Amino acid sequence: MATDSAAGSSGVSAGALAPGTGVIHDIGYQTYDGPRFGRRTIALALCTQSLRSAFGFGRGAKAKIIPVLAFVIMCAPAVVNAVIMALGRSHTRVISYDAYVGSLRVLVLVVFIASQAPELVSRDLRSRVLPLYFARPIRRIDYPLAKYAAFALALLAVIDIPVLLLYFGTIMQVHGGAAIWAQTRGVVPGLLVGLMWAVVLAPIGLALASVSGRRAFSTGSVAIFMFMTWTLTLVLTRIAASTSPHGSGAHLSSTAQVSAAAHLFGLISPFTVLDGVRQWLGGTSHGIVADPGGYGVAYGVMLLAFLVVSLGALMRRYASVSVS
Amino acid sequence: MTVDHASQAGYTAGTDVPVIATTALTKRFGASITALDELTMAVGPGITGLVGANGAGKSTLIKILLGLLPPTRGKAAVLGLDTIAQGEQIRGVTGYMPEHDCLPPDVTATEFVTHMARMSGISPTAAKERAAESLRHVGLYEERYRQIGTYSTGMKQRVKLAQALAGDPRLLLLDEPTNGLDPAGRTAMLDLISRIGNEFGISVVVSSHLLGEIEQICDQLIVIDAGRLLRSATMSAFTQASQVLAVEVDEGGDLLAAELAASGVSTFRAERELLVLIAGDATYDAVRDAVAVLGLPLIRLEQRRHRVEELFRADSALAVAEQAGTAAGLTGAVDGH
Repeated sequence: MATDSAAGSSGVSAGALAPGTGVIHDIGYQTYDGPRFGRRTIALALCTQSLRSAFGFGRGAKAKIIPVLAFVIMCAPAVVNAVIMALGRSHTRVISYDAYVGSLRVLVLVVFIASQAPELVSRDLRSRVLPLYFARPIRRIDYPLAKYAAFALALLAVIDIPVLLLYFGTIMQVHGGAAIWAQTRGVVPGLLVGLMWAVVLAPIGLALASVSGRRAFSTGSVAIFMFMTWTLTLVLTRIAASTSPHGSGAHLSSTAQVSAAAHLFGLISPFTVLDGVRQWLGGTSHGIVADPGGYGVAYGVMLLAFLVVSLGALMRRYASVSVS
Repeated sequence: MTVDHASQAGYTAGTDVPVIATTALTKRFGASITALDELTMAVGPGITGLVGANGAGKSTLIKILLGLLPPTRGKAAVLGLDTIAQGEQIRGVTGYMPEHDCLPPDVTATEFVTHMARMSGISPTAAKERAAESLRHVGLYEERYRQIGTYSTGMKQRVKLAQALAGDPRLLLLDEPTNGLDPAGRTAMLDLISRIGNEFGISVVVSSHLLGEIEQICDQLIVIDAGRLLRSATMSAFTQASQVLAVEVDEGGDLLAAELAASGVSTFRAERELLVLIAGDATYDAVRDAVAVLGLPLIRLEQRRHRVEELFRADSALAVAEQAGTAAGLTGAVDGH
């Protein structure tokens, strides 16, 4: 019976499926004898593919516009610095390694995360391709972990490559081993701050983006959360500062009682939390909003909370995705 | 991996373990919903039809078999691998084609299937080759460089099948592969599945709620209803036990049934037809006489293969009478060829 239907169906299927092209199909089915990789390699492949898609590689030209533009804008200050140093008489860097250009960084990252985090997670939800991933030899947790690693690397590239450019642009203008060494010692904490930003912002962006398979909702939830918390922090800190008896605008006194609020309002936005932790850990450059004052520990705790909650939410999101 | 995959004979000889085996498999969702109820069955190599109405538990069964859902009670094994402890290994040698749409519209079929082959653990270069191969096997040639969003439903179904095939599986789980296809597309898809099962030497479990189409290509059938096993048997057993005469009359079907019953012939209604169990040549005479006596407008008189549809009414009079009436019961029936 089996042989009968096999002989019968081969002719029929070749004709039915590809009229006029039934020549090649006689090669027959080839088995795969090569290595079969486990979940680690598969997750790494997924991570690589996601990292590429975070910058629109492997996609159309349209998909590259925002990520490339964001990257270029982030690099601009480093280029400007190099130019100023090359033209100017004084060979001093005009931009700090650890804070870079704080508000520009925030703005660019909000746009980058809001547009690219959905690219990584929302598309797969929308096209319902996840069951195909989960039916493969990986575990459920591997998918969000691979996406997290990919997006953190993408953010790291956007944040730290400009810092490296700033570094190289600077050392080309300074003279002497000691000066270069000083720059090198300066850039390392700057790069580490970038790493901290990438590690914390990536899961927040992905968790918010994975709420929906609809790209608009996905982007919206990221943008709204990040802009709202940022604006709230900005406004509340200003109010707290201006109502302070010793308040002097943006320069916040750490003695007054009201300014305690000014320090604490920074806990609302992930960006000010990140910047607060940077200062708490010894970052000397002027911050984006306020220094954490005596509340450095609170900023540290809040940073961990952002990381743990967003990662947890991301894992939970994918634990509940239905397979069929 | 060393099993000669291309020849089914070599494959079956090398493995005594059933492709799928479940023991008292039960899955409950909450307190009230029972998706699978004490399901015990074994699936051999070849093409197996998993038949059941929507909500009968087919998808739940597939999820458990892939190790993605733990059973509430009981056990299941795929190719000798335990679904709870060895889910990853199972998924490494099993290709899955979901029922629903699962393709991103804005990538080409080649890119997508290559990526999915890599996700099966195939090396990058081999993934490219296998993607091209798989797409060729399912009948996509030049079209494979086009974005999937531009494909017809039939082409999308083939891409779904190709991605399942790309990982060189030992077993394919196809969930309603003919869904949404036109008659020509169905035939092509069924031919393709038949070819995969018979020529490629890959065991296939194909689920469907459309019974008639699946019986053409299956070596074995599993019928489940409300999470319970209705029947499990090889197709030859079904065809053997199909001594059924279909009688269709324009009107007066009930009269005919009564007349036949009076002369000792058991009949059963199936929609517009009257099904008559053939006891011997006398049955034909009885039917002819009854129609003639009643003067009914006879439309059709046809001996036919047992339709799988009748399996659904396993507890119906037909099934009961048939099992009592035919010496060869369905369970344990041997291949007639």
